[in-house]
Amino acid sequence: MSRDELAAAQGDLLRALLAGGEPPAGFDPAAVRVEAAALLAKRRRIVSQLAPEVAGELGSDFTALFNDYAAGNPRRDGTRFREDAAAFAEWAVARGHLTPRRKRWWRRSTGG
Amino acid sequence: MGEHLGVGIGWRSEIDLTVERMPGVDFVEVVAENLHRDHVPESLRVLRAKGVPVLPHAVSLSLGGAEPLDTARVEHLGAVAALLDAPLVSDHVCFVRAGGLDSGHLMPVPRTREALDVLVDNVTAAQEILDRPLALENIAALLEWPNAELTEAEFLHRLVDRTGCLLLVDVANMWANARNLGADPRELLDGIPLDRLAYVHVAGGVEIDGVYHDTHAHAVPQGVLDLLGELCARVQPPGVLLERDDHYPSDSVLADELAAIRAVVSG
Repeated sequence: MSRDELAAAQGDLLRALLAGGEPPAGFDPAAVRVEAAALLAKRRRIVSQLAPEVAGELGSDFTALFNDYAAGNPRRDGTRFREDAAAFAEWAVARGHLTPRRKRWWRRSTGG
Repeated sequence: MGEHLGVGIGWRSEIDLTVERMPGVDFVEVVAENLHRDHVPESLRVLRAKGVPVLPHAVSLSLGGAEPLDTARVEHLGAVAALLDAPLVSDHVCFVRAGGLDSGHLMPVPRTREALDVLVDNVTAAQEILDRPLALENIAALLEWPNAELTEAEFLHRLVDRTGCLLLVDVANMWANARNLGADPRELLDGIPLDRLAYVHVAGGVEIDGVYHDTHAHAVPQGVLDLLGELCARVQPPGVLLERDDHYPSDSVLADELAAIRAVVSG
């Protein structure tokens, strides 16, 4: 396996874990599902901590909505979690799940 | 062997006062990506003024990744280390980015000779940028790559031999891999060069649907402390650090966990 082939294999694995791709050959599909769920849960937890107002307003719908958002928006290389939280809030506003605010309070913070 | 550190705890902004005031904290670790390269949080400044070593711990270098090393991330780690006057820095044996995606977590690399070559190249390139020792940590994995050519011990041993890196041994990750993947933690302890040990990580987790998750958000299981004991039977670790990242318990519970760690270390 060359460096290029390893890069492709690592990309295939991340697509399976984050973007609904097929489990690559040789991997235990059940383990891939468990890992995918663990990565999603971690991402959801971090976003809920960075934007507690968003999670709070969505209440019991937060988990399902975030999972829906994440399925269509895998984290891109170079994305910070705060950007992820802001993108999710915009996604939820655009679909009418979240009240739009004149002040984009979820964008107030920097860093992270 | 790395320099003496003692017993420590992961510094997090949510528990900065707790860590600052807790007796018996000999050193702390801070996630490098959470710091700015030109500004030290006041709490860390207080700890540094007291002479407490603050070790930057990176999570995003993706040293096992086959894509070109992101040298800006390594430079950030180096800058933070200089700011803190840290004796060493660390990251993990893992990859986090590939194919334009970011897993947001530490992913295992295939234990093949080619993947080791890639890792060695990246570690060597990082070491050329960093002006202090780099320690690399074994991770907890929920899945395994097919067609492994090396055991984890062989893989880590060769990594150390070829790069001169130090080891950050996470006994909680070893325990998780034993539970989830059937790995033998004692075989791993016997097979890695413990004379290159920088320090040890201890953390808690929780079992959900038969899978043990190394959450850093639950109490440290006795099995992890037992593994720490196994390690201490082989080598006196220069340092042992408790990682707690979420669902912070009371200060006294954290102090009790540190005391339990200290009891194991002092045998």
